[in-house]
Amino acid sequence: MSSVAKNHSEKLPVLSVENLIVSYGSNKAVDNVSFSIKKGEIFGLLGPNGAGKTSTLSAIEGLVKPQSGNLLLEGTDMQKHPAEAKANMGVQLQSTSFQFELTIDQLIRLYAGLYNVQLARRDILNSLKEIGLESESGKRFKQLSGGQQQRLSLFIANIHHPRLLLLDEPTSGLDPQSRRQLWDTIEQNRRNGGSILLTTHSMEEAQSVCDRVAIIDHGKVITVDTPKGLIEKHKHDQRVRKVARGKVTLEDVFIGLTGNEIRE
Amino acid sequence: MNNTPEPLHYLRSLLQADFVVLLRNRRAILAGLLSPIYIMFIAKSEKTQARLGGSHFLVVLAVTLGILSLALMGYAVNMARDRERGVFQRLRVTPVPQWTIMVSRLLIQVLISELIAIVVLVVGSRMNNITFSAGEYLSTLLVALLESAMFLAIGQALVGLVKSASTVTAVSSLLFAALLLTGLLGNSGILGDTFQTFSKWTPVGTIMSVFQSVLHQVAWNGHTTLSLFACFGYIVLCGFIGIKWFQWEAR
Ligand SMILES: Nc1ncnc2c1ncn2[C@@H]1O[C@H](COP(=O)(O)OP(=O)(O)O)[C@@H](O)[C@H]1O
Ligand SMILES: [Mg+2]
Repeated sequence: MSSVAKNHSEKLPVLSVENLIVSYGSNKAVDNVSFSIKKGEIFGLLGPNGAGKTSTLSAIEGLVKPQSGNLLLEGTDMQKHPAEAKANMGVQLQSTSFQFELTIDQLIRLYAGLYNVQLARRDILNSLKEIGLESESGKRFKQLSGGQQQRLSLFIANIHHPRLLLLDEPTSGLDPQSRRQLWDTIEQNRRNGGSILLTTHSMEEAQSVCDRVAIIDHGKVITVDTPKGLIEKHKHDQRVRKVARGKVTLEDVFIGLTGNEIRE
Repeated sequence: MNNTPEPLHYLRSLLQADFVVLLRNRRAILAGLLSPIYIMFIAKSEKTQARLGGSHFLVVLAVTLGILSLALMGYAVNMARDRERGVFQRLRVTPVPQWTIMVSRLLIQVLISELIAIVVLVVGSRMNNITFSAGEYLSTLLVALLESAMFLAIGQALVGLVKSASTVTAVSSLLFAALLLTGLLGNSGILGDTFQTFSKWTPVGTIMSVFQSVLHQVAWNGHTTLSLFACFGYIVLCGFIGIKWFQWEAR
């Protein structure tokens, strides 16, 4: 790459989502969503159940066809070049599952093959040690605990060191230890220059790991900023003031902007 | 940017995984292997065999039974179940073309079907003290290939039309019984002429007509050729339905 081109690609967002619309029949799950993610950035989609977080990710992952909108991965049109886009994305789905019959070892080999990654026996062992699964490598997927399945799934999402990691509610259902470990992994990823798009409805998570957060509801992005910036920007909003008890927190901003009725 | 993977590379990985998945699926393998051996065992008496069309015919009938159960219990049921678990969604976010996910499963099914055919032929000849010539082995394996394709197409149509795994399981069992009984009882003629004509054109009926000619029990005639075409017709029709309406996601 020439230095001009390199400079250009450094500036280019890793992911840009422009005017994305995703519909299921007459239900508009994602309604004109736009945002972009910089290199090394951890970007959070924060929203209540049914807000359209998973649908937004599904469109980026190529699992659902958007009704309209542009999706660019480092400037490449992801809808025109899906294989190339997928080769540079790592994915952890919200309800992910691997083949129950395969062992950890076999699953790692399978996905290494699908992502064109050469892994020596020693590499696999080392990585298993890192995620605390070295003594389970012969166990079948269905025999693993929820936390172990989650760790394996994150490891496989990252197996080809993608530009962009998409994590859909990665910490829901994890115990505090596993959650901390996941945040460490996310940090480490960032240090290696990878960008991450994650969804969550945990304020703590948004605040402690995300560089920027988009609050999304009813398929629309309501506001985007750093967690601190969001509080600054909205702390005088009437709706936020009304729900705040004392100093305004991110949760107050969230509840203020998305309302306090309970979602299914 | 990372490169997209090589077809040979990812096909090998998928095939290996699907092979292990199917072999570890105890229910499918038991259904595919034990049901043919069981039917050969209960039809051991010469009288029963004569009524069913002779001991050679009984053995290929058992092959058909094995391949049918593998296609329904191994392919259709597992596809529906893995779809509900989200296994396909995870595979679909990798850079491999989607159709390879299904083709790999189908190829492994066909491979195991052929293995079942060989095992049943060997066990069947031992049990009945008969021999199959090399030519008969070869042509039986060829017809087994055809019937594997036909039953898999039927299984594909089933998972194309029905989403829930538990419904697919229930319908598979019913379909298994229905296909078998119509194909078998029709042949025996005990249910009358109309039914016999009908049963000749069911999937099991047509494939058994082809088998009869291949084993030289009946000379290859116009009916055999038509039966062969009917098999291809079932493959095209069910394959079309099963692919057109197939959805990767269960909801
Ligand atoms: N596959 C689907 N078919 C039909 N409707 C769907 C599907 N997936 C999601 N929806 C609907 O789209 C809306 C957004 O859902 P989702 O993207 O899963 O939200 P979130 O991940 O924020 O909880 C919801 O109303 C949901 O019922
Ligand atoms: Mg979701």
